[in-house]
Amino acid sequence: MEDTTTTTPTNAPQVRQLGFEFRGDGTEYFKIWIVNVLLTIVTLGIYSAWAKVRNNRYFYSNLFLDGSNFRYLADPMAIFKGRVIAIIALIIYSIVFSVFPPLGIALGIALFFAIPYFVNKSLAFNHRMSAYKNIQFRFSASYGESFMVQYIWPLLGMLTLGILMPLALQKMHEYLVKNSSYGTTQFDYTANTKDYFFIVLTVLGVGLMLGLPTWGLIAAVPDLAPLAFLIGVLVYFGIILFVMSSLINLFYSNVVIQEHGFSAKVTMAELAAVLLANAFFSVITLGLYAPAAKVRMVRYISSRIVMDALGSLDDFSAAEKENVSALGEEFGEVFDFGL
Amino acid sequence: MSSSIKITGHYLDGKSAKRRAALLELDPEPFHHIGLTIEADVDSGEGTALQGAARSFTLSFDDLRIESRLGNTPREIGFGDEQLFVTDDNDAVDRLVARFGTTGWLHLLESKLSFVILAVVLTVALVGSFVHYGIPAGAKWAAEKLPVVTAEYLGDGLDILDKTVFDPSEIALSRQQEVRDLLEPYLQQYPELDAKINFRAGLEANALALPTGDIVFTDEFIRLVKHDDELVAVFFHELGHLHHRHMMRRVLQDSMITLLVIMVTGDVDTVDMVTGLPTLILDLAYSRAFEVEADAYALEKMHESGIELENFAVIMQRLEDYYYEGGDEGEGGFEIPAFLSTHPATEERVQLAQQLIERYRRTTH
Repeated sequence: MEDTTTTTPTNAPQVRQLGFEFRGDGTEYFKIWIVNVLLTIVTLGIYSAWAKVRNNRYFYSNLFLDGSNFRYLADPMAIFKGRVIAIIALIIYSIVFSVFPPLGIALGIALFFAIPYFVNKSLAFNHRMSAYKNIQFRFSASYGESFMVQYIWPLLGMLTLGILMPLALQKMHEYLVKNSSYGTTQFDYTANTKDYFFIVLTVLGVGLMLGLPTWGLIAAVPDLAPLAFLIGVLVYFGIILFVMSSLINLFYSNVVIQEHGFSAKVTMAELAAVLLANAFFSVITLGLYAPAAKVRMVRYISSRIVMDALGSLDDFSAAEKENVSALGEEFGEVFDFGL
Repeated sequence: MSSSIKITGHYLDGKSAKRRAALLELDPEPFHHIGLTIEADVDSGEGTALQGAARSFTLSFDDLRIESRLGNTPREIGFGDEQLFVTDDNDAVDRLVARFGTTGWLHLLESKLSFVILAVVLTVALVGSFVHYGIPAGAKWAAEKLPVVTAEYLGDGLDILDKTVFDPSEIALSRQQEVRDLLEPYLQQYPELDAKINFRAGLEANALALPTGDIVFTDEFIRLVKHDDELVAVFFHELGHLHHRHMMRRVLQDSMITLLVIMVTGDVDTVDMVTGLPTLILDLAYSRAFEVEADAYALEKMHESGIELENFAVIMQRLEDYYYEGGDEGEGGFEIPAFLSTHPATEERVQLAQQLIERYRRTTH
């Protein structure tokens, strides 16, 4: 745990920089994961709900902040029930679609309008099942806001040929953070629209600055086409790294709870090293490296996020009890619209 | 005889985020009393003196909700309404649990190296045989059971191809009619396949079969053919794809693989990059298996119709030469490794033809 404490001479609460730390280990998680996979196979998928809880518990319980770990609280049975209902719904949906398409289309439209509701429920379930220092998180958003960030903002982004995409992304992040709370304390999100535009404009600028000359070069000297292809791949990978790292940094640096803030410093070079190592080992082990790859990624991202805590973190209190079923979450997984 | 167990950790009351040091103790005799001592809260202000004072109380084992062990993650013991005792001392908690006779077997599986190796071997064997035998057999069964109506809802595939890659054929109508007349008797032999002959320009020298029953010959292909029997050979190959419902089976197999990946890894986000390549390689392997099946069908039907099987080998070789010399695109000499190809190597296909020729000769003489 790297606690660098900045002391101030006055009596005012000090700002403490508390690093997030992931203490999981690739080998240890591999053992848990492979047992989960085997039990899932021999139980013909029934164990998958228990496996999900065990996998999630491993990642939550190994994430530490200020000496305390996070927890994942979901009951496997609740997840199992939600999963069974969602799978039955998917089967009915597919059968109706192939036997009587008009009714299938009607069901599809109904599902379209149900998705914002399910996304809300899924986030509510996941927050409710996450705890830190025995205080649970909460999520509560209106259907209208969910509908806007799922459909309307992305649609506006596409209709304006991407000009409004940064705004759509910002609205999505605001939806995620501002509707979340830790116990009774609401999170806030402070990002500016211009930060989002900066990321998108940089991508466009770099893409054009490198793309156009390369294109011109191939037109002039066709023999250099393989070289241009290589440059294209590198630029593409570079842009992915840039977008990933700047979005992670932008997102976490703008999350606020009470007077506490966060900051993230993910760099493109470090992210590239993690991604390349993960891809390399995953391919040569035919996917068996996947659990260790996930650990490596989570450990890296956690290590680059810091909480700027003003004073003590003890003054949070638990919210009222509430019940959220796992149905929304499992619909999201089965119909593949989860966030 | 058994000693006492002392577990140090932290106590959280579930109402506030305040954490206090605590000690959980199991007396040596009698076993049923578990004491929890919570230390005084040093930071606590004066107003909360009562809440922050040191206290201790007695619990019975049945009051405790002890989480199963998971690697070396902190162990949580819940009790009362929302109260929690957290400790890093997993071994001590295991000893406490063992006193009352209910040890978890999951952690044992997850920590013993021999179990883990066994799990890896079993998983690889089960997934491997499922991918190799289970998925193709399941897709074949499903494709045969599915009503033909479903295929119609896949949409008129030829329409889409016409808008994207195909242009109207430039082959003289008289030649088109010749080909139609040549194939008409065979079409009538298999009315259940509902095959229709089409001519299109584009896609170099090619022939393809769509789930709707449309068999398409490209102009380049018609020009490449030197003998009617060669054309019939390729026609039977495409008819084989229709007969075995290969398009439908490929769609089914691909979705079954995706389902398998999600089920096994239980994770949709992280799998994309990691499993994308193996999934693609599998899809290509399935595609090659279908080509072999269609080849075998073509050779069998040629034999039944009294067409020399050598024609199959000849047209395959000519197609290979055509692509090797580069068709229109000038990409000659570029070899794709076998495991990344949609079709088996021509050598293998010609070999299959030779084998069948031998076998038919032996049975007829």
